[in-house]
Amino acid sequence: MFGKGLFKGMGITLKRMLQPNVTQFYPEEMPKLPPRARSSMALDPDKCIVCNMCANACPNQVIKLTGEKTEGSNRKTLISYTMDIGRCLYCGLCTEACNTGALVPSQEFENAVYDREDLLWDMMARAKQRKQNAPTGKEE
Amino acid sequence: MDALNQLPLSIAAAIRGLFGDPHSIWADLAMDIIAFILVLLIIVAAALILILLERKVAGWTSQRPGPNRLGPRGWFQTIADALKLMGKEDVTPAQADKWVFKIAPMFILGLPVMTLGVIPYGKGLVPVDLDLGIFYFLGISAVSTVAFLMAGWGSNSKYALLGGMRAVAQMISYEIPLIFALLGVVMITQTFRLSAIVDAQKTLPFIVVQPLAFLIYFIAGIAEVNRAPFDLVEADQEIVAGPFTEYTGLRWGLFFLGEYGNMFAVSAIAVTMFLGGWQGPLLPGWMWFFLKTGILIFVMMWVRWTFPRMRIDHLMHFAWKVLLPLALLNIVLTGLGIYIYQLLVPGIGG
Amino acid sequence: MTIERTEEISLNMGPQHPSMHGVFRMIVHLEGEVVTKIEPKIGYLHRGLEKIAESRTYAQFIPYTDRLDYLASPHNNLAYVQTVEKLLGIQVPERAEYLRVIFAELARIASHQVMIGSLALDMAGWTAWGYCFRDRERILDLYEMTAGGRLTVNYMRIGGVSHEPPPEFWPALNSFLDDLPAMIEEYYGIFYGNEIAQARMKGIGILTKEMAENYSVTGCALRASGVQYDVRKAAPYGIYDRFDFDIPVLYGCDTYDRALIRLLEMRESLKILRQAVRDIPEGPVMAKVPKLIKPPAGEVYHRVENPKGELGFYIVSDGSNKPARVRIRPGAFVNMQVFPPISVGLKIQDVIAIFASFDAVLGEVDK
Repeated sequence: MFGKGLFKGMGITLKRMLQPNVTQFYPEEMPKLPPRARSSMALDPDKCIVCNMCANACPNQVIKLTGEKTEGSNRKTLISYTMDIGRCLYCGLCTEACNTGALVPSQEFENAVYDREDLLWDMMARAKQRKQNAPTGKEE
Repeated sequence: MDALNQLPLSIAAAIRGLFGDPHSIWADLAMDIIAFILVLLIIVAAALILILLERKVAGWTSQRPGPNRLGPRGWFQTIADALKLMGKEDVTPAQADKWVFKIAPMFILGLPVMTLGVIPYGKGLVPVDLDLGIFYFLGISAVSTVAFLMAGWGSNSKYALLGGMRAVAQMISYEIPLIFALLGVVMITQTFRLSAIVDAQKTLPFIVVQPLAFLIYFIAGIAEVNRAPFDLVEADQEIVAGPFTEYTGLRWGLFFLGEYGNMFAVSAIAVTMFLGGWQGPLLPGWMWFFLKTGILIFVMMWVRWTFPRMRIDHLMHFAWKVLLPLALLNIVLTGLGIYIYQLLVPGIGG
Repeated sequence: MTIERTEEISLNMGPQHPSMHGVFRMIVHLEGEVVTKIEPKIGYLHRGLEKIAESRTYAQFIPYTDRLDYLASPHNNLAYVQTVEKLLGIQVPERAEYLRVIFAELARIASHQVMIGSLALDMAGWTAWGYCFRDRERILDLYEMTAGGRLTVNYMRIGGVSHEPPPEFWPALNSFLDDLPAMIEEYYGIFYGNEIAQARMKGIGILTKEMAENYSVTGCALRASGVQYDVRKAAPYGIYDRFDFDIPVLYGCDTYDRALIRLLEMRESLKILRQAVRDIPEGPVMAKVPKLIKPPAGEVYHRVENPKGELGFYIVSDGSNKPARVRIRPGAFVNMQVFPPISVGLKIQDVIAIFASFDAVLGEVDK
């Protein structure tokens, strides 16, 4: 009979109308990203040994870091670590290259800003901010 | 529930009683103005609710909630949309035909208001009880074709012109099966007056006697209102927005309101002619009317969100080669049926 | 009143258009509703990837290849890393090969879902589009839990893959594979089985076998015109010669067949995936590759079967750690050449449907 496909299609839509929603009520319900999701990068300055592997691995020269030699040991300490997120591809090659686990992917995805200058992240300041927020829970 | 049925009539009688002579010309004028304002309110309220219902139904078919932020579960969304549209800049294209461009939206909203004036909403609740009821409705809805053409031509844009031309072809093609489908009902009741047609369905709604006519009328009605699967007038994916491409702000809002008003008018006529109008047990008449119209509109939305769009030559083929012969067949069968009925049941003549 | 003359309209369906599959512009010459000529204009998404490749090392270029055909990014990664491995002569461990096949076939399913959804959307079947994208989310979740990215996965590396999938990957994959036949049935019911959609697709945009072979069309468009040619069978790469699957071929040469063949391909991908999940061995996921990749001087061309067609990489190496020249042969770009000739004489609505059936992704066309 002509029109059988039409009625079958209407049946499918009616069936779906009666089923619960699959959407999430953002921002009241935040999605929970898996631990490997590389929506952002987080630095632990204490673990960094200033080996420059991350800066070399990056395709786009996003990472700039400086360090100085500490006296008493042959390790270097980190002075400054900036990432120019405007150039970042979010490819994760830097986090893979890090040997000590200082630079890890983090699951913060709300990174949009209004000014271009805010795209130059100072990773050590962000680490300090995270440490301050951690004991009282995430307030931001 | 008869008290609720009588309530609007007693209010009307009370207002008439305020005048010295309850049937003077001033009382009639007052009642007409009140009826006009009520019809305007109905169409505006219908358009506001229907726009939101459309988005909600669209969401439900794909397991989403639709707009759900403003108001309880999102039901104030259209008010926010209307306020937003009022705040937009009014852009008229430079080379557009100014008068044609500006008058088109007024047509699109004004015509459904005119058609809604003759429909019986409840017992005795007809704003204007014309002898020519259904004929008047069909005449007015034929004029709405011109409004689309005005919008398309006056915009001075190729997309708009394509949309306007498609609108003309589609709407005049589907007028004819629409009219012939309704002719069957008129043959049975032998009157054009809508309140008489509703009264004639006291025992049996005409959908039982004329199922084919109802189907043809419904499909042609969807085509008249330019809804999917016949919405190539405003096909988003091909001609951006058809005749409405160059309209901004409140002018576009008027088009939108007019489309939903038209949808309401077509469903209201279907309810009146085929489904028994305002009659029904238990609930008052006007409640039944809006319930039935609402169900038909829901079916229209359900169809829209399921089917893809038809191509223009398939559309014309369907109108002229499928719907029109079926409508003519319906008339022949109705005529035969009336003749046989008159032969079998003695005493029914004329 | 006599008609003086009629004129042809030239309509610009510009880069910003509700149905242009990315930023594609075409100038359509119309006579009423009938198309007389189409002039496609591309280049709105050109990012200079081939030039960028000359200043990146071999490993650093992998994230850029994601952005070619962004709807099926593991395939682009696969094509590139296999080309470099051919140049270096590296053997990839077994487990990594199976993981590559799993990701590639999942990407094929995801890409075909987008194509079916977009084709339905171009015909105002909004609900079909919604269903395709809702189901695609599950594949993207699988990518996210393994590789970290949803759209640009950056999963393959030269010598293997980057991460071992987490333990929750396998149950999620198996439940997706169990639900896939029901999804395919639903797509058929809501879109392909619909008489209106069939009337819009059948008999439209006939691409004859000779024309397809002359224009070197590849991929689903070729197989819908009756030519049995798939790179996975003709020149097997990786471990595709170990899997038992068919190549669907249809003979209708029209838009409906080009759309239907993608549904059939999803079934074949399901078969491959089940075999891969069953046969995957334990082992490392990355071969022993030197830190600094310096292939010997030479040139190599390698191709894979993208969901869009045949994707080829031609790399010229001069012995340093950066390539001298990378040339990308995109499947969609070559397929798109045949689109203007076959659309002449049809209506403008058909043109939209035909373009959608060729499934051109502008990232691949413009590089």
